[in-house]
Amino acid sequence: MNVSLNWLKDYIDIDQTPQKTSEILTDIGLEVEGEEEIESIKGGLEGIVVGHVKECDQHPNADKLSLTKVNVGREEDLQIVCGAPNVAIGQKVLVATIGTTLYSSEGEAWKIKKGKIRGETSEGMICAEDELGLGNDHNGIIVLPEEVEVGTLAKDYYKIENDILFEIGLTPNRSDATCHLGVAKDLAAALKINYGGDGRVRVPSVDDFKVHNNSLPIEVVIENTEACPRYAGVSIKGVTIKESPDWLKNKLNAIGVRPISNIVDITNFILHELGQPLHAFDLDKISGQKVIVKTLPKDSKFASLDEVERKLSNEDLMICDGDSKGMCIGGVFGGISSGVKDETKNIFLESAHFNAQWIRRTSTRHNLRTDAAKVFEKGSDPNISVYALKRAAMMIVELAGGEIASEIVDIYPNPIKEKHIEVSYKYLNTLIGVEIPKTKVKEILAALEMEIVSENDEHFTVAVPTNKADVTRPADIVEEVLRIYGLNEVPIPSKINSSIALSQSPDPQSIKNTIADLLSSNGFHEIQGLSLTENRYFKDILPIDDSELVYINNTSNIHLDVMRPTMLFSGLESVLRNQNRQNADLKIYEFGKSYRKKKEGGFNETKHLTLFMTGERFGESWLNTQKTQVGYYTLKSFVANILTRLGLSGYQESAIHTDILNFGLKYHRGPQNLVNFGKINSKILKKMDIKNAVFYAEFNWDAILKALKKHKTDFEALNKFPTVRRDLALVIDNSVKFADIVAIARKAGKKLLRDINLFDVYDDENKLGKGKKSYAVSYIFEDTTKTLKDKDVEKIMNNLIREYEGKLGAIIRR
Amino acid sequence: MSVEIFGKVNQIIEEIKTASPKAKEEIEQFRIKYLGSKNVLKPLMGEIRNIANEQKKDYGQLVNQAKQVAEAKFQQLKDALESAAEDASAHNIDLTAPGEPIELGSRHPNSIVMNRIIEIFQRMGFAVAEEREIEDDWHNFTAMNTPEDHPARDMQDTYYLKDSTEMLLRTHTSSVQARVMTTTQPPIRIIAPGRVYRNETISARAHCQFHQVEGLYIDEGVSFADLKQTLLHFSKEMYGPNTRIRLRPSYFPFTEPSAEMDISCFVCDSKGCNICKYTGWVEILGCGMVDPQVLENCGIDSKKYSGYAFGMGIERQAILKYKINDIRLLFENDVRFLKQFSSTL
Repeated sequence: MNVSLNWLKDYIDIDQTPQKTSEILTDIGLEVEGEEEIESIKGGLEGIVVGHVKECDQHPNADKLSLTKVNVGREEDLQIVCGAPNVAIGQKVLVATIGTTLYSSEGEAWKIKKGKIRGETSEGMICAEDELGLGNDHNGIIVLPEEVEVGTLAKDYYKIENDILFEIGLTPNRSDATCHLGVAKDLAAALKINYGGDGRVRVPSVDDFKVHNNSLPIEVVIENTEACPRYAGVSIKGVTIKESPDWLKNKLNAIGVRPISNIVDITNFILHELGQPLHAFDLDKISGQKVIVKTLPKDSKFASLDEVERKLSNEDLMICDGDSKGMCIGGVFGGISSGVKDETKNIFLESAHFNAQWIRRTSTRHNLRTDAAKVFEKGSDPNISVYALKRAAMMIVELAGGEIASEIVDIYPNPIKEKHIEVSYKYLNTLIGVEIPKTKVKEILAALEMEIVSENDEHFTVAVPTNKADVTRPADIVEEVLRIYGLNEVPIPSKINSSIALSQSPDPQSIKNTIADLLSSNGFHEIQGLSLTENRYFKDILPIDDSELVYINNTSNIHLDVMRPTMLFSGLESVLRNQNRQNADLKIYEFGKSYRKKKEGGFNETKHLTLFMTGERFGESWLNTQKTQVGYYTLKSFVANILTRLGLSGYQESAIHTDILNFGLKYHRGPQNLVNFGKINSKILKKMDIKNAVFYAEFNWDAILKALKKHKTDFEALNKFPTVRRDLALVIDNSVKFADIVAIARKAGKKLLRDINLFDVYDDENKLGKGKKSYAVSYIFEDTTKTLKDKDVEKIMNNLIREYEGKLGAIIRR
Repeated sequence: MSVEIFGKVNQIIEEIKTASPKAKEEIEQFRIKYLGSKNVLKPLMGEIRNIANEQKKDYGQLVNQAKQVAEAKFQQLKDALESAAEDASAHNIDLTAPGEPIELGSRHPNSIVMNRIIEIFQRMGFAVAEEREIEDDWHNFTAMNTPEDHPARDMQDTYYLKDSTEMLLRTHTSSVQARVMTTTQPPIRIIAPGRVYRNETISARAHCQFHQVEGLYIDEGVSFADLKQTLLHFSKEMYGPNTRIRLRPSYFPFTEPSAEMDISCFVCDSKGCNICKYTGWVEILGCGMVDPQVLENCGIDSKKYSGYAFGMGIERQAILKYKINDIRLLFENDVRFLKQFSSTL
């Protein structure tokens, strides 16, 4: 909302600088988001002074020039060459002194310099109207009345006052401040309480309003009093539609409203002065001399002012004529045929109060965010309708001629009264946290025109003016008091007053950070993808049933129309982006959520941790010139380290082959999956244009967090007795897995087997035979109660070998 | 005679002390001279027989002392030589060549900022509460005192789900207030970090997703002064001990009174810069006293309890902290960007 400082000064005295005024407005909740200086005359007549022509002679070298001596209040008179035909001795004139910047009619700046004109020194310029931007006259210099004092600044003589435009970000709760008078009242209150202002507000008087005759009465009927609690109007006869006077045009221009013609300009002026939207009808177009406020049947057609034919809802309130023909969408937008035109002679001026919700719905429905609608939907003051109507009518008669040709019609069946709110001082002080003296509270309320209607030591009851639609409860009164008292005046206690909340244990936040730190310390970069993605992925690349997808209804970006059902593509998008920017070697991870619809209704938002690895395993280095790519086993170690860092053990593993993974493993506890990891299906990568193999782990972080709650670490005493190592080389079928070897060893080794490791793999077909491989496996044994004897270990090993031979068909290489 | 010979031994001791052989051969020479089988001390020891009896003991001790000094000196020279042998230059090591390529990863700037904020509030006794992002209209709007038709709904563009008028993507973490207050009785003291959504066109300055941290404290007698205290403390922890705060009255449907908080510009120390747009202040968060209607909507007695709430954007603070000029960088995951956050402090 644009507010002009000069306009505010019509109603209140402001003895603060514009800068300070802006700060005060912000402090009371009328945030100044922008400030602009407006010059009513370009350059503001800076450097122009009144001079007295003491001598005026013919220029010795030029017929059409005069040589003058002008006193501008300095010790020395200025010699000025002047080309104007009307310059004469004794005149009071306007002199642009040396250094003054003037503007051409095209707005170009130029500077007055000391110079010689046809051989004679000229120390300035005697100015004509157009040269100063005061008018268009260029026939001669401006001659001022004789009594004007020499040396007077031109800007003082013309009372040039530059204006400041405040752009106020008006919050929806400030129905009282949608207009200049409202802002002025609030500002006056703050000035009075905190800056020694007198608090006086000059409200324009309408005492001189007078009905001339009742020759053009209009009858008003409100059929829907919920939507329109009040409707007032008056007829004006014999107006002349023309341009508004300069002062009015300037006022509107200052706040960015384009002047149109006197009647429209006056209604706009009243809107921005009083916050009452008005509407002027061409009275001769009101069929039946009757206005009916009603809704029309659904789908009725209405041609609005913007020449659009609109289909109405049966919840659009219409201002209709005697034939129930719509003339105007009440409080929102005018009609094409009933409005004021150049040839209009008689008008009917409407000043009504409409229900905020009704206006809001209609204005949203038709996408008509007009100034009037914006004011009404905040909750305008129902009790200024007649005052605003009188003020507007008086202005119309003054600026457009004519006479008031009807009594004021005012249909207001159920007058809206001031709300009375009871507030206890205790509540006020407790909520703010500081004891504001009662006298101060009362001063603030009085400054805000909130009258105390009853009070005792503990409570007071205030009557809230009807322009404050949003002030309905004690908390709202506290806000009113606090914002004038000053939010920044509330002292900060030295001690903290607080209850303590128990945090979740284990703390998900610190667990997440523990693992993030582990990964970030090991070369992984944390990414954050978008939760919204495009459905093409789940149609073309990784088919997922539509019934599982969470679609957005009203997305403004077709590439963001579904919530991601997997975090896969966020990571792949990053892989692709970096691959295309010469960064194909990547280790990245993301903590985030996937989103799916549940079959039984509702939604699953599942937390995940995903890891992506692709490209070279190590950065290029002189220390290791052999290049190796990351692979499944690189990823596997990171997955294992994460689980170990989390203290998770005792999970099962199963080989998997999924839509996403060509091959991989999953770790799970029964049906509860903890993590899937492996190599991403090359078909997916191809469709994503990704060139290198990508290895991917997807942790179900919710399941991990749940599994954690059962974990605790028990210290285990360090073994005092030495360990024994044995190695075996097993020739086995390719289908035999290390896990099979481990499982047998765990069973056979009982409590004595501490560790088992695969330390060499060998698969020479010529030496081992087709489909065979050789695994070199180490076994570490220990007994925590005594020194292990060779024969105990031999017994286990022999047992193991038998098991391997029998169950895995292994041949032991000796 | 005896004085002379004492002087000679003392002279040798002095020689040993000041000797400074460096090369291996020189040190060997030193050893031969003072500790070898034909060392210079030997003949001097032989001189003992010419010493007066009462001085024999002192003389013997002096010669022995010379021997000890020589041994200690030799050991010292030998050690110095060995450690010199381990010197880089001796092995031709280029100390400036790059080390092993052990890569250091990074954390996302949002995480760094989020963690810092959470840490500060956890220190002040707030617990972390997380909630769903796919929300219903009631928790996101209605409970938060923003019924349908409320002008405040104009202030945010909401993503609604297909085939549903009820379900939406939460537009703010304030929905967590409703979730917590409908399931817990006061005292409540939480912060709620999380992702929120607005149906906005993505540009350098706006995104359709971002993160917020919501704070909520409900108890008996919680005041606006308490809110200021908490926020001032937060601001000082986050932006430095000299940070000042400024509150401006504002409007949120779920708080009354409501305010927006600025902090003194930490970039220019309020002298004026392009970060604070030459105002000296930077807007950081919105806050206020929980609206009594919100308490009642959630089943909390507004006559008995009061509370405060605040909410702040994470991306905004990350952008301020790191002077990032385009919000989109935060979600493009370009490693050239991410690598800049290898320091997670």
